[in-house]
Amino acid sequence: MDRALARRLEARFEGALRGPARQRHDQTEIRIGAGDVIEVLRALNDEPELGFTMLVDLAGVDTGAEMQVVYHLWSATTADWLRVIVEGLSRDDPRIASVTFLWQGAEWMERETYDMFGITFEGNRDLRRIYMPPDYTSFPLRKDFYLPDDAARSPGAGVRHVERTHSPVDAAPGVLRRTGA
Amino acid sequence: MTALARTWDHLTLPGKALFILIPLLALLTTGLIVVIALFGQQILDILIFNLPIVRFVFAATVLLLLAPPIAFVIIYMEMKIIALMNLRIGPDRVGPWGTLLSTIHGLKVLMKEDFTPTRADPVVFTWAPVVVFSTMALSALVIPFAPGLFAQDFNLALLYFFAIGGLTVVGLLMGGWASFNKYSLLGGLRSAAQIVSYEIPLTLSVVGLVILAGTMSLNKIVQQQGVYVDITGSHGSGWFLDWYVFRQPLAFLIFGIAATAEANRTPFDLTEADSEIVAGFATEYSGMRFGFFFFAEYIGVFIISALTTVLFLGGWNAPFPFPRIAWIVDPGSLGIGLLFVVALVPLLGTLLLAAPFYLFRSQTRWWVALIVGFVLFNVLAGAVFFVWMRGTLPRVRIDQLMGFAWKWLLPAALLNLFVTALGVLVADALRGGPA
Amino acid sequence: MATQTFAKGTHPSADDPHVLLEDDYAFYEPIPPYPPRTEREAEFYTLGDGEMFLNMGPQHPSTHGVLRVVLKLDGERVVDIDPVLGYLHRGVEKLVENADYHQTISQVDPLEYISSLFCEWAPVTAYEKLLDVEVPRRAEYIRVLSGELNRIASHALFMGWFALDLGGLTPILWSFIERDEIVEMLAALTGQRMLFNYFRIGGVNGDLNHEFLSRLGDWMSRAVGQVDANTKLLNENEIFVRRASGLGVVDQETAIRYCMTGANLRATGIPFDLRRTHPYSIYPELEFDIPTRSEGDSLARYLLRMEEVKQSLRIIDQCLDKMPDGPIIAKLPRLLRPRPGRAWAAVEGPRGVYGAYAISDGTDQPFRLKIHDPSFIHLQAVGALLPGNLLADTMAIMASLDPVMGGVDK
Repeated sequence: MDRALARRLEARFEGALRGPARQRHDQTEIRIGAGDVIEVLRALNDEPELGFTMLVDLAGVDTGAEMQVVYHLWSATTADWLRVIVEGLSRDDPRIASVTFLWQGAEWMERETYDMFGITFEGNRDLRRIYMPPDYTSFPLRKDFYLPDDAARSPGAGVRHVERTHSPVDAAPGVLRRTGA
Repeated sequence: MTALARTWDHLTLPGKALFILIPLLALLTTGLIVVIALFGQQILDILIFNLPIVRFVFAATVLLLLAPPIAFVIIYMEMKIIALMNLRIGPDRVGPWGTLLSTIHGLKVLMKEDFTPTRADPVVFTWAPVVVFSTMALSALVIPFAPGLFAQDFNLALLYFFAIGGLTVVGLLMGGWASFNKYSLLGGLRSAAQIVSYEIPLTLSVVGLVILAGTMSLNKIVQQQGVYVDITGSHGSGWFLDWYVFRQPLAFLIFGIAATAEANRTPFDLTEADSEIVAGFATEYSGMRFGFFFFAEYIGVFIISALTTVLFLGGWNAPFPFPRIAWIVDPGSLGIGLLFVVALVPLLGTLLLAAPFYLFRSQTRWWVALIVGFVLFNVLAGAVFFVWMRGTLPRVRIDQLMGFAWKWLLPAALLNLFVTALGVLVADALRGGPA
Repeated sequence: MATQTFAKGTHPSADDPHVLLEDDYAFYEPIPPYPPRTEREAEFYTLGDGEMFLNMGPQHPSTHGVLRVVLKLDGERVVDIDPVLGYLHRGVEKLVENADYHQTISQVDPLEYISSLFCEWAPVTAYEKLLDVEVPRRAEYIRVLSGELNRIASHALFMGWFALDLGGLTPILWSFIERDEIVEMLAALTGQRMLFNYFRIGGVNGDLNHEFLSRLGDWMSRAVGQVDANTKLLNENEIFVRRASGLGVVDQETAIRYCMTGANLRATGIPFDLRRTHPYSIYPELEFDIPTRSEGDSLARYLLRMEEVKQSLRIIDQCLDKMPDGPIIAKLPRLLRPRPGRAWAAVEGPRGVYGAYAISDGTDQPFRLKIHDPSFIHLQAVGALLPGNLLADTMAIMASLDPVMGGVDK
């Protein structure tokens, strides 16, 4: 637990932090809002006293009330992991700036987060689905993802006996094509 | 329902095949006997009148008939040797020591579905394997396997060999292009580039040898590598030092490398690199068509190593002069029996090849294995070498391959040629005039 | 293209003749039939002059698992690539949210199935941080011991795979002899040859037993010699060296920008190894080096991994020497309800930093488990390394970065 790090972060990012930096075990956590992402992460990456040059993970979280994006960073200046939680993204249209301008490797991590949660990363040149098929319509890791509805909307819906919803006409139009015969 | 129809229903598929074939064969045989009995003399007269043609037809037929068994033997050898190098066992169950496995593979390939991809060019697609196989088999016409045992001997034998061998490119390109498949296209183009660029060092490297030999006839080249006095005097061969490998070592090296590339063998097997382009030009082929490509490759291995033996390793000459052994059996006097003996050779050869593995594994009677090894050394040594390389080496990249051919092998072949020519001139001058 | 209808009884869609499936070719076209969704897609899927698309599809002899790579080729030269993932996506992160904390261990095993123990190690450490559990020292030593064995097995597989993609048929079979012995050892210890399900929250599942130790002792006495023999097969092979050196060069800046970790990063010269830079478990007590190389090409990555195998052997030696007595698992209730909180844990797997981010909401099921997988990141970097190389190098570069599709696709 690096207390000095927490103090440095609180000193540097006074306005942007929502609440004090919390620490537990070997992790330091700061929370910021979606508007401060570019400024804070650029500062963390570029400034030599902070020196968080390695982005280790980019995750999306759906807390039920809101969406969050969590970055884990590593620096050679401290023994702690730094966790940056960007909170306050709305569940209906979550948007956040992309960090691909700092780390090109974040591109696929952001694609995965978009695929699983629907969070749009503005500035990501390649924001398309990465795991699910291109014509998939749901976001699987959201808390309001309901599997039978999702199965009903898939192209193979109703083909197998177990995939049939109780009333096929309730499924989205355009998927089950009638031959007209 | 007649008894015949009932029997027919009860038969399995092989039974049905035999049920038709055996009466048909009996009918044909009796017909043949009748014809020979009635018109035998006239037929013989015609044949004797056209003896060269008859000889050629016979030789070509034997060659084509022997090609699959030779391929089976080499395929088995490859599977077994690579397995042993990989610390595995390899074919073990089918036949003694797994020898029948490659034969079964050949039969299996006949039973596969034979299709043409939807948008492939049907004519070219069908004829590609034919072209590849027939050029390989045709090039074997001029190789002498024993004194007098060759299909055709003409003065341009070596040139003919390289010319026909170069026609395989046409077949590979046909296969690659007609398949309507990008992998096949890449494979076919790679193979065309590779074979064409390695033909030049290949032919140039033997020009030095041709200068020394003074002839392109393979038969005469073999004769020159041994002291072979005909009819009267001593039958015998010279010492192995007369072999051309010692008179043209650089040519041997270049020829060996270029021949590996010509035969599409590792490390030059990019055309069928199955970790990159699935099966190269042969991706869309299945069944017997693929079998043709497969056969053609292994026949090519056999023919190339046979040619290496003929040109550089003394052909049918023994490595040292040994006294004449009275022939127990004169093969010419066997007549039609010779055909049966010849048919036995692949079977025996396979068993003989299998024996060393068995013997080495049980670690007894090493001297028996040595004798067997020596008997098969001459031609199959080259094939073993090819297989050895396949098991050990990774493959080169296309640009490294082309660079190697044009920047290293070609200058080396030219160097060899000039040195040989210079040597001949100097030797002639020293002797006081051409010998 | 004609749409296909099937005779009754031959295809599921035949049960209801009113259902017409989209014609099957549409799903397999490398060129999307829909308008491009993103800038990069538009850039990739427009063909220049003389270029063509080649689809190295999910079924291919040498993609490392089910991976589809759409290549834009100019003759034999690769101009651009677009990897298409998701063929092995199993939704592990969603499945885990419906399972107990203990059940998640067997669910995260098949992520990087070749190095399963590391896939278990990271989430288990994250849970232990959530619960503030201290793992007994003997359990930590056993974890390190089995983890290093798994690392050697994974690197042995890497060596074989790498050589196979370059065309050598023999090294993979030799390295599988190594791997087989290690995997049998781990089967004696954990009960499974591959997806071990061995780590538990607070320790490990079973203690070292006689069979494991005797196999380990046997193998250790031969290990160094065998590793040397196997690597000599390739290191002294001129063709292999010429193919692999200078291939797929990564420099330090590119590596950091692409978030690469593990051997791929150390091959560029940056000595970042979590076991030393951010020590966890009992690694501070062990003596081992972190090999690095500076060339950053495929040959460097290969040689580096072979040296890491030797270091792992050193670690195993020390573990066996210093193994303390004691319990192998901490006392925990069967039903775990951690306090609400968040924890991140990362271990140094054979491919790189393998991380797990666990969020607990006070119930007995994890609220969120995010797995950070190194193969995912490295496959992204392939897109930066391939253009300009020949087709034959595509597989070689991908193999040298050592991706495992289970981890890539989660």
